Amino acid sequence: MPSELVPRLAVIGSGPAGCYFAQSVLRGAPEAEITIFDRLASPFGLVRYGVAADHQHTKAITRQFERFFAQPNVRFAGNVDIGRDVTLDELREAYDAVILATGLSADRSLGVPGETLLGVYGSGGITRVLNSHPGERPVFPSLGSDIVIIGGGNVAIDLLRFLVKDRSGYEASDISDEALEAYIANPAERVTVLHRSGPAAAKSDPQMLKELAALPRGRYESPDLASVAPTAEGDRQEAARLAAFAELTSPDREPTSAPVVSLRFNTIPVAFTGTNQVEGVRIETPRGIETVTATSVITAIGFEQASSEISELTAKPAESGRIATGLYRTGWAKRGPRGAIPENRACAKGVAEEVLADLAAGVIVSGSPGFDSLSDSLRARSISYEQWTTLDKHERESAAEGRVRRKLTDHDEMVNIARDAQTSERN
Amino acid sequence: MKITVLYGTESGNSELVAEDLGAKLRETHDDVEVFDLQDFDPADLTPNHFYVVVCSTHGEGDLPNTAIDFAEKFDVLQPDLTGLRYAIFGLGDSFYDTYSQGSEHLDRRFTAQGAERVGEYGRHDASSWDLPSDIALEWLPGAMEAAGLALAG
Repeated sequence: MPSELVPRLAVIGSGPAGCYFAQSVLRGAPEAEITIFDRLASPFGLVRYGVAADHQHTKAITRQFERFFAQPNVRFAGNVDIGRDVTLDELREAYDAVILATGLSADRSLGVPGETLLGVYGSGGITRVLNSHPGERPVFPSLGSDIVIIGGGNVAIDLLRFLVKDRSGYEASDISDEALEAYIANPAERVTVLHRSGPAAAKSDPQMLKELAALPRGRYESPDLASVAPTAEGDRQEAARLAAFAELTSPDREPTSAPVVSLRFNTIPVAFTGTNQVEGVRIETPRGIETVTATSVITAIGFEQASSEISELTAKPAESGRIATGLYRTGWAKRGPRGAIPENRACAKGVAEEVLADLAAGVIVSGSPGFDSLSDSLRARSISYEQWTTLDKHERESAAEGRVRRKLTDHDEMVNIARDAQTSERN
Repeated sequence: MKITVLYGTESGNSELVAEDLGAKLRETHDDVEVFDLQDFDPADLTPNHFYVVVCSTHGEGDLPNTAIDFAEKFDVLQPDLTGLRYAIFGLGDSFYDTYSQGSEHLDRRFTAQGAERVGEYGRHDASSWDLPSDIALEWLPGAMEAAGLALAG
């Protein structure tokens, strides 16, 4: 039967990397059957749990992926943890090819003394709490009066925006209200953002800085900006970034009661100070060593692989997406923790071309049995896209006023709601 | 008349819109092509075709990745587009002050070289959460009517 000979591909991870890959490979092999696995019952990965809750316009990319999951030869298999519920080898047996689109979920460590002190947090963990990620502890940590953010990329700016905003800044968002209330009850008095680079080369998008400047919150200062002459020459991004920093720290900006934000540049953190609880960050500056007082520190310096069966395969970036015959990787799992959502599209296209070329050359031979050959228990625990839409509907309908969605933080509850509704549909 | 749908994309939304517009146009027209701008040479622009241009916005109101080379080649070539007619649909995000400016870079270039834009300037706003193709397919009939080209109902 010809239908037996279609390529059957397994994609691990349903974030942008996995979705873009599947979309791209289907353009070249429209007959292919694709299963996209996720360890959570919900799809979309970092779009759902990494993009800030008040950036719903960025999360709107899921409208594109929703359409893609509606295709009959695309299957979502949520609630399946590769390594726990099925091994990678078993998947490689069941499918013609397996594509790792697992991202990088662990906060990269700074590697300086004192990093394990109480009060030092990773940005990924904090972002997940704000996004109601199941499996993250549901309680927002008490950050105290003097918060230091290490890093100046978009993740750092997302966190800074959270620390600066008040309740009014979350209209039509899906923020965790528990986390928001915990912070609002005990907000920061001072926030220090430590950039390793100078302002022009900061890693944040100028639009992110302009957004901060447009908020009527926060009083910004920078002891390191005075030496920078804003210039319209050179890179447009750099010029826009410098203009945004200048606007933020302008003396004409209306003062507010929200935290005082100190933007530091050309600073290298060399140690966390404190005995049990963090008390400061020692930094190297062009003027010498300083210590910035801290009641808590959030590191936002990128991501790395969490330890798992797959981690060794994706620990180092590579030019090619091919790891072995029939095993590939895409997204951050391929190229490292750089670039926003759209960059995964170009990356996925490249890997899809490799897969399609290997199919055409007979390096990958179609004929594997696919999802139906996986164990009964695995297929039973798997959450389909249709089941996810039930959970999705539940989340949207149970949203509080001023919120677009209320995410559940208990994964078992997510699974039960996705499943229960299906049972009632059958009745 | 031959219809060419051109798109420039960063996140893939314009590509889907272009494909959907292409499929819709094929219901009525025999000769419809869809090209990513990165695979299209500005020297091939001709008044014998009607163009539907779909383009998103990236960064500081800039062109998306797949339209950049096209624009650079266009500027070198400065093709005479007298008699060429086109409709344009821009994608963007009103969350930013650069909303929908990406497509305008193409619109300005086409107009400056003598081409004529017909119909409403179509726009999709990511902040609306509307499906881009829904908005584009609502926009298309008016644009085609303005172009004097029929479209199946």
